[in-house]
Amino acid sequence: MLEVHNLTKIYEDGTQALDNVSFSVPDGAFLAVIGLSGSGKSTLLRCINRLIEPTSGTIIWNGQDITAVPRGELRLVRRQIGMIFQQFNLVKRSSVLTNVLSGRLGYVNPLFSLINYFPADDRQRALAALDRVGLTDKINNRADTLSGGQQQRVGIARVLVQGVRLLLADEPVSSLDPVLAHSILGQLETLNREDKITVVCSLHYLDLVQRYSTQVIGLRDGRVVFEGDNLTIRQMTPERFKEIYGEEAELVSAAKVAGEER
Amino acid sequence: MTPLPPSGSRAKPSPVVAGLLSLVLPGAGHYYVGKRGQGILVAVLAVVMVALILWAQATREVDLQPGTEIILIVSTVAYWLWAIASAVSHARERNFLPTLGLILVLAYTYVLGWQVTEVNLKKFFTEFSDIYPIFTKVMWPWEAAIEYDVTNISATTRFANPCPENAADLPPQTEGSGGQTWVTIAPACGDFSKYDTTQGKLAPGTLLALKASGLRPNEPVEIYWTDAIGNEFRPRYEGATVKGMADAQGNMTVTFGAPQIETTTQVGVQRHTIEVRQQVSKTNPHMSVDMELALNRIVVTIFQALMATSFGIILALPLSFIAARNLMSGSPLTLAIYYAIRFVLNVVRSIEPIIWALIATVWVGLGPFAGVIALTLHTIAALAKLYSEAIESIESGPIEAITATGASPLQVIMHAIIPQVIPPFVSFTIYRWDINVRLSTIIGFVGGGGIGQLLYQWTGQSLWSQAGLAVWLIAATVSVMDYASAEIRKRFV
Repeated sequence: MLEVHNLTKIYEDGTQALDNVSFSVPDGAFLAVIGLSGSGKSTLLRCINRLIEPTSGTIIWNGQDITAVPRGELRLVRRQIGMIFQQFNLVKRSSVLTNVLSGRLGYVNPLFSLINYFPADDRQRALAALDRVGLTDKINNRADTLSGGQQQRVGIARVLVQGVRLLLADEPVSSLDPVLAHSILGQLETLNREDKITVVCSLHYLDLVQRYSTQVIGLRDGRVVFEGDNLTIRQMTPERFKEIYGEEAELVSAAKVAGEER
Repeated sequence: MTPLPPSGSRAKPSPVVAGLLSLVLPGAGHYYVGKRGQGILVAVLAVVMVALILWAQATREVDLQPGTEIILIVSTVAYWLWAIASAVSHARERNFLPTLGLILVLAYTYVLGWQVTEVNLKKFFTEFSDIYPIFTKVMWPWEAAIEYDVTNISATTRFANPCPENAADLPPQTEGSGGQTWVTIAPACGDFSKYDTTQGKLAPGTLLALKASGLRPNEPVEIYWTDAIGNEFRPRYEGATVKGMADAQGNMTVTFGAPQIETTTQVGVQRHTIEVRQQVSKTNPHMSVDMELALNRIVVTIFQALMATSFGIILALPLSFIAARNLMSGSPLTLAIYYAIRFVLNVVRSIEPIIWALIATVWVGLGPFAGVIALTLHTIAALAKLYSEAIESIESGPIEAITATGASPLQVIMHAIIPQVIPPFVSFTIYRWDINVRLSTIIGFVGGGGIGQLLYQWTGQSLWSQAGLAVWLIAATVSVMDYASAEIRKRFV
């Protein structure tokens, strides 16, 4: 169970990214976070694993207050929370295998990394993860030689070896075309259903939200303006979706946008 | 008469005013009609054109060919007129032949530039023959790379100058017998060729007949003259070196005038030695001393580049971190350090290595170490800049992603930062080594040691074949380095 209470983030320049955000996610849920760019989705996700320090509020996960964890023990929390990104954030010049192995960094002795050593067990895990995302033949390729969809699958494999209970996905399919978007979200769905990993995923398109999520929150200017469960998502009308996104936003489907961008 | 437009409103510029202003100063009209940047450019060019004509007449640096001044003045006047026409046309919202002004300026520049830099195409082509022998030696220097063990047969005889009073004092001329090699000279005494100052020409010396036998048949014979104080030289007669050729029986006769030898301080009769020499075998080809020297020096040169590069890396690495803006923009103090370091690096880098080498030779004396200092200084500045730019271009995404896995700060550095900077660092470093090899050949010219210094010495002594060896070795080394560095960089970037 992930509980967020009165989460507020004000950046040094005075921008209020999150304003008193509260919501809860039961274990095994697939939460979609929707909202315009700049509505606070990325900040919210990064507050959960404290890549960004919240200004106030608490985040309780499995009974532990993440916001109260001292810096030194943060890695014990972070290693249970995986994250994938819109821009994949792989180390481009390193090999696929090295990128996946970096998911184990929260477990290995930091001194090992001076000589770039990982236990054999970790290598086995990495190979298994790569097999699961279907990249067995790309193990020794440099990360930047892979296509966008393949890179995101490396990102997922990195999360797999990390052995997470919670996955934060920051617009994981916004840089991909609709076919790949479904393929990547399908993999996240498998992680969610089979591995019982709770997923918090920011998404832009109503059809993807309706297809994959079990729960939705809508953000606007850092505030929660919508909360709904499985049923409300399916009944959500384009008009309602547009309301959350703001008047200026057009309702677009993933397929439509991708078609125009080509 | 039209009333003046009220001040403050956008008045239509008058073509007459524009023309008159341009008559006074080209460009002023453009400025007046609102083409300010263009006006300033036109004015500056006009001023420069007039000033250069005055300069060319006043200075001794330039020797203007007849007619050139007229061309310069005509093109300047034409430019002036064009400026007026252009300003007037702009006032009428047209644009009169904008390229004409450019063409006039270019014509002026070429006519004057030709004279100032003393371009001489005739010389360029007709005097190519002067460079041709040097050129062939430099391009094909391999004869200087090989030496042989040479065996000679030779014989000597003596010659007296001036003729002794007593005929018994004449050097004896003995003919040998059997297969023996011998040489005689007749007469055995005589006068040398001399420059006659009263007549202003060379007075020929006594005509000498050299007769030799016991030589290898049908092979050339070299003739050497050793004067009374032991200087050996090959005598010349009628504009050519005196040479002989053995006939089928191994005999030879050569006639030549006694050479020109300075005898003003001579006391008494002096005896000179004449030698006939024939090369009978040329065996055991081996590397010449010069080639060995050049090879040794190219090794020195490569090491110079290596030392300078490695010193450069060691010193540039720490500097690059304090010269990276993204790491130093935290506080005003660090930012001030950043600017100071950047400034110093830019100054050091903008001074050419050859200048540093001159400074270094004063500092530690001539030799390879001076070259290493010069290259190191320049390398530090260049690498620190390149490294810091690599650090500045680090992507934050991977750092974020690795941090999110629960990695410690050390692990973030090792897995997110180092992999991003190592490839550009390696690439820049190899590139720099490549540059250093090339530069180390040049800094030798000002005393920085290595093969460059050798090349400088050899060209100074007109030893073109040897210089050619050095040039070829440099070219080979540089191209190997070039290729290798490109290959290694390809693997890393």
